Amino acid sequence: MSILFTGRATGAAAKKIGLMRRFIMFWLNHARQAVASLGELWRTPSASVLTIAVLGVSLTLPATLHLLVKNMQQISSSFTQAAEISLYIREQTPDNQVQSLVTILQADPAIAQVIFVSKQDAMTEFQQLSGFGAALNYLETNPLPDLVRVLPKNTEPQAAQALLQRLSSERIVEVAKLDIDWLTRLNAIVSMLQQAVAIIALLLLSAVLLIIGNTIRLSIMNKKDEIEVMKLVGATDAFIQRPFLYTGVWFGIFGGLLAFLVVEMMLWWLQSAISNVTALYQSDFSLQAMSFSEFLTLLLIAVMLGLMGSYLSVRRHISAIEPTGP
Amino acid sequence: MLQFDQVSKSYPGGFVALDRISFRLEKGEMAFLTGHSGAGKSTLLKLISLIERPSAGRVLINDIELSRIKRSQIPYVRRDVGIIFQNHRLLMNHTVFDNVALPLVIEGFTGKEMVKRVHAALDKVGLLDKVRCLPATLSGGEQQRVGIARAVVNKPPLLLADEPTGNLDPDLSKDTMRIFEAFNQVGVSVLVATHDLGLVARMKYRTLTLKQGRMINDGLLQYQEPV
Repeated sequence: MSILFTGRATGAAAKKIGLMRRFIMFWLNHARQAVASLGELWRTPSASVLTIAVLGVSLTLPATLHLLVKNMQQISSSFTQAAEISLYIREQTPDNQVQSLVTILQADPAIAQVIFVSKQDAMTEFQQLSGFGAALNYLETNPLPDLVRVLPKNTEPQAAQALLQRLSSERIVEVAKLDIDWLTRLNAIVSMLQQAVAIIALLLLSAVLLIIGNTIRLSIMNKKDEIEVMKLVGATDAFIQRPFLYTGVWFGIFGGLLAFLVVEMMLWWLQSAISNVTALYQSDFSLQAMSFSEFLTLLLIAVMLGLMGSYLSVRRHISAIEPTGP
Repeated sequence: MLQFDQVSKSYPGGFVALDRISFRLEKGEMAFLTGHSGAGKSTLLKLISLIERPSAGRVLINDIELSRIKRSQIPYVRRDVGIIFQNHRLLMNHTVFDNVALPLVIEGFTGKEMVKRVHAALDKVGLLDKVRCLPATLSGGEQQRVGIARAVVNKPPLLLADEPTGNLDPDLSKDTMRIFEAFNQVGVSVLVATHDLGLVARMKYRTLTLKQGRMINDGLLQYQEPV
């Protein structure tokens, strides 16, 4: 396009090339500039490595916190027993009535599982676990009641509470108990942690944005002369800023990859320590690593931050550089 | 091709760099712009390359007023004007080829067409054998010629040169001027700012002389042998 000389064929537009070919060339040019930006990073290894390391560490923290919350949720969801309702049966209730209650409960759509523990079973279990052992033999009668343990389908505190109300009105049920308080507390703690993680992540991600913006600003300042020359020979701002944008994208990619590696190494390191702890609690908890989609999300966020950081910097600083004289 | 119509330029603080300058450079014409340092030569070139805007008057290239050019259009105007700088302003960490190819890359040239044009431009200034060198390994005259090749590689209709011989010895200066003459002969309009009055007078081209921002001479300069 020539503004001054209509009809003066300039640039690649002067040659008649097909739309398809131009489309291919467009992407080819972008790929070439991306590789050129990568080469630029390669030529200044110490500065690039430092920036990437800072980005990697800044991204590692939110990623780790995310995994922490994810594993916490897994733990809390494995505590469904917490929403277990214990129905203590009135003394001297005939066995057939208890059995029919169990059958009715098993058919109830709101109930996932019903376990009947007879007073004899309860006594045996108590003897084994309590440590009183033989001392219990001196009891003349078994003081323990029959027990029906009910696992609701919906373990939400409110739903469990509603079920509790319903079951406690059964005639042969003396007391119905649901340990619901600590479940609500756990839920509250998990959601508080989630919010704290969100805030910390937001802060760290803005730090990433600023770091990339500042790094790009420095590299623009370093190339001030070059940018002036390019402007003098007719480069548009868009043309000049493209390599810097690609640099930002590369920073994002490498920072994201580094964060992923650090998180993986940390998990590997903690794996044995955590399995020791969980073994002590007789839990089948296994540490959840980053899934592939989470890895992609991390990388995408890093790249977007890189692009945004460099864009903010480039917009301000490249148009501010004006050639001062021929 | 290039027209100044009552153009003035004053800087903040009241310094008047150009005072009601009017002249017209025809298509295919070659002219010199002379005057002492501070006479306004650089300011005049800055107005053409849109580094500065005039305080009053009109600058026209090909009958298009430059004041109508928006900021976003400036790059496209600069592609139509080849500029040669006194300190040649090459990218020192890029090869001669990359330097000369820069205006073409900016315009979207790729591949064989670009290589062909770069080689043609370097051939015209006699530097085809230095295509892979870094500018730092070249002599001053050669660097200046790389600058010339870069200015002409996309065949601009108008060529500006700011003190192109400022750092060169007389022989090299003469060679450089010959290169400009060669471009002029193929139809390019050339405006050369220089304070090398002896050279200007020997070349016998139209000469515009500035003094303290005013045009004091427009025409052939009479050469006086220094006593």
